[in-house]
Amino acid sequence: MTVVHRGGDPEVAAGVAAAVPPTVRPRTRSWWRRSTTRRYLFGYTLLAPAVLYVVLLVGAPFLFSLYLALSDASVADPVANFVGLENFRAALESETFILALENSIVFTVVAAIFKGLLGTALAFLLLQNFPGKKIIRGLVVIPFTLPIAISVLNWKWMYDSQFSAINWVLSRAGIIGMYGSPSWPIWLGQPELALWAVIAVNVWRTYPFSAIVLLAGFTAVPTEVLDAAKVDGCNFLQRFHHVIVPMIAPILLIGFLFDTVFTLSDLSVVYLLTQGGPANATKILPVLAYQVGIQAGALGRGAAIALFLFPPLFLLMILLLRNLKRREY
Amino acid sequence: MQAPAGRRAKETRRLTLVYLGLVPFIVIAMFPIYWMAITAFKQDPDLYRMDIFPFWFHMPPTWKNFTYLFQNTYYGAWLQNTLTISAWVAGITLLTAVPAGYALARLRIPGAENIGIGIFMTYLVPGIILFLPLSRIVATLDLQDSWWALVLTYPTFTIPFCTWLLMGFFKTVPMEIEEAARVDGCGQLGAMVRVILPISLPGILTTVIFAFTLSMQDFLYGLAFVAAGDQMPIPVGVPTQLIRGDVYYWGSLMAAGLLVGLPVAILYSFFLDHFITGITGGAGK
Repeated sequence: MTVVHRGGDPEVAAGVAAAVPPTVRPRTRSWWRRSTTRRYLFGYTLLAPAVLYVVLLVGAPFLFSLYLALSDASVADPVANFVGLENFRAALESETFILALENSIVFTVVAAIFKGLLGTALAFLLLQNFPGKKIIRGLVVIPFTLPIAISVLNWKWMYDSQFSAINWVLSRAGIIGMYGSPSWPIWLGQPELALWAVIAVNVWRTYPFSAIVLLAGFTAVPTEVLDAAKVDGCNFLQRFHHVIVPMIAPILLIGFLFDTVFTLSDLSVVYLLTQGGPANATKILPVLAYQVGIQAGALGRGAAIALFLFPPLFLLMILLLRNLKRREY
Repeated sequence: MQAPAGRRAKETRRLTLVYLGLVPFIVIAMFPIYWMAITAFKQDPDLYRMDIFPFWFHMPPTWKNFTYLFQNTYYGAWLQNTLTISAWVAGITLLTAVPAGYALARLRIPGAENIGIGIFMTYLVPGIILFLPLSRIVATLDLQDSWWALVLTYPTFTIPFCTWLLMGFFKTVPMEIEEAARVDGCGQLGAMVRVILPISLPGILTTVIFAFTLSMQDFLYGLAFVAAGDQMPIPVGVPTQLIRGDVYYWGSLMAAGLLVGLPVAILYSFFLDHFITGITGGAGK
C-alpha cells in the first residue's frame, strides 16, 4: 500500500523504471499521458453497465415518479395531464391518508423503541465470549434472514382467530379466557389490537438487525481506548456514555436511519397480515400507496402518497453522504 | 484449567448469566420456526384442535402437505421461477458489479468516490417509491405477468449493493499484485483478472448469495408486476395463490414456507456480517 501512494500510479513507477535514460523523458511523459487516458477509458467502460442500469431503472423511475405525482395519470387513461400539487392536496385532505400517516409514524416510532431496547440487550450478550457463540448468533438472527413473506405468513398463522398458538399459551397460563370468551384476543381482527400485533412482527423481524449493527459498532471500539478509560477510573456506564456511544455514533445513526427507511416503506408485513384493516386500523402509507396506485389504478395519487416517504430518505442520504465523504478512501 | 477456584466460579457465574440472558432471545427467534415446522408435518385433524397440547404430534407426522404442494399447486413452477430469476439476477449483478467495483476501487479514475457513493445511494431508494413508475416501464416492455419483469427489476437493488460490497473486497487486495502483473507485461485487462482472482471465491460467492437472498426478501415487486399464477417466485406465490378464498390450508402453507425459507435463512445468516458492513458503508471501521 505504502509503495503505491508515494508515486500515485503504478504505471508511473513502472514507466519511470522502464525509461531510465534521461533523454527519453518527453517520450515517457506522453506515454504516461496516453496510459492514463487509456486507464480512464478502461475504468469508465467498466463502470458503464452498472451506472447505466442504475440510472435507467432507479434514477429515471425516481424522476418519473415525481412527474407521476404531479399528473393525473391512471392505468385506465395513459395520457397524463399536469395537475400541479393537486395529488398532494387531495392526499392531505383525505382522512384515510391522515390516518395512514399517523399509523406510519406510530408504527415506526414504537417499533424503533422496542428494536433499540431488544437490539442493545442482544448486542451486549453477543459481545461476551462463550462456547457455542457462532451457532447461537446464527439462530438469533434467523428472524431477519427468513424471507419476509414467509415469516409474515407464519405470524398470520400464530395470530389465527381460533387456533392461535400465542393464545393457547396465554390461555393455559390463565392470562386470557378460553376460546369464545370476551377476553380471547383476535389479534388481527380487533382494531385496538391489530396495529400492535403488526408492530410486534416488525420488531421480531428486524431487532436482530439492530443488534448486529450495534455489535459491529461495539467491536469497532479499540480495547485500548476502553482500557485507558478503565484505568482513568471510569465505571461501565461512564465508559458506555462517554467512550462507546460517541465512537459508535456514526454507525448507530446510519443503522437507525436505515431501519427507519426500511420500516416506513415496508409493505409486506401489513399487506400480508391485515391489508390495512380492520377498519383502517393498520393502514400505513405503503399499503395506501399500493392500494391507490395499483389496485385502484390511480398512478398519480399513488406516486404522491409514496413520495411522502421521501423526507426521511433524504435525511438518511445526506447523513450517509457526509459520513462517507469524511472517511479515507 | 489451573485457575484458582474463585476465578473459575466467577467465570461459571458469568457464563450462566450470559446463557440465561440468551434463552429468551433464542426462544423468540426459534419458536415461530418450530411452530412452522411442526405445522408442516401435522395431519389436519391433529392441527385444528385446541384441547390438546399443540406443540407436539398426537398423530403420526405426514409428508402429505409437501406432496400436495407439488401435485396440486404451482409450487414446483414457483421453485423453478425463483431459481431461474435468482440465476439471472446473480449473472446480471456479477457482470455489472464486478467491473464497476474494480474500477471504483482500483483505477483511481476522476470522480470515483462520488460515483461510488451515488451508486450506493440508489440502494436506499425504497421500492415503494419506485414501483409505480417501474410498473409503467414493465408494461411498456410488455413484461408484466412474466417473471422476466423481476429479472429486470431485482438488479436495481442488487447492483448498487454488490458494487459497494465488491469495492470493499477489491480494496483489500494488495496493489503489488497489479504492479507485478504490469511489470510482467500484462495489459489492463490482465492486471484486473489478477486482482479479481484472489477475491473471486469469497467476493463473488457473496455477490451470488446476496443476489439470491435479497431477491427472496422482495415481495412488493413480485406482487405489483407479476399477476399470472404460474409465473410467480415463491415469496409471492405462496401467500397470494395458496389461499383459496378465505380458507387457509395452514399445513401446506407452512410446508411451502419451510421448504424454501429455512435454507435461505440459514445461508443468509452466514453472510449477515457482509450485509451489515455493506449497508453501513463500513462506518464503524
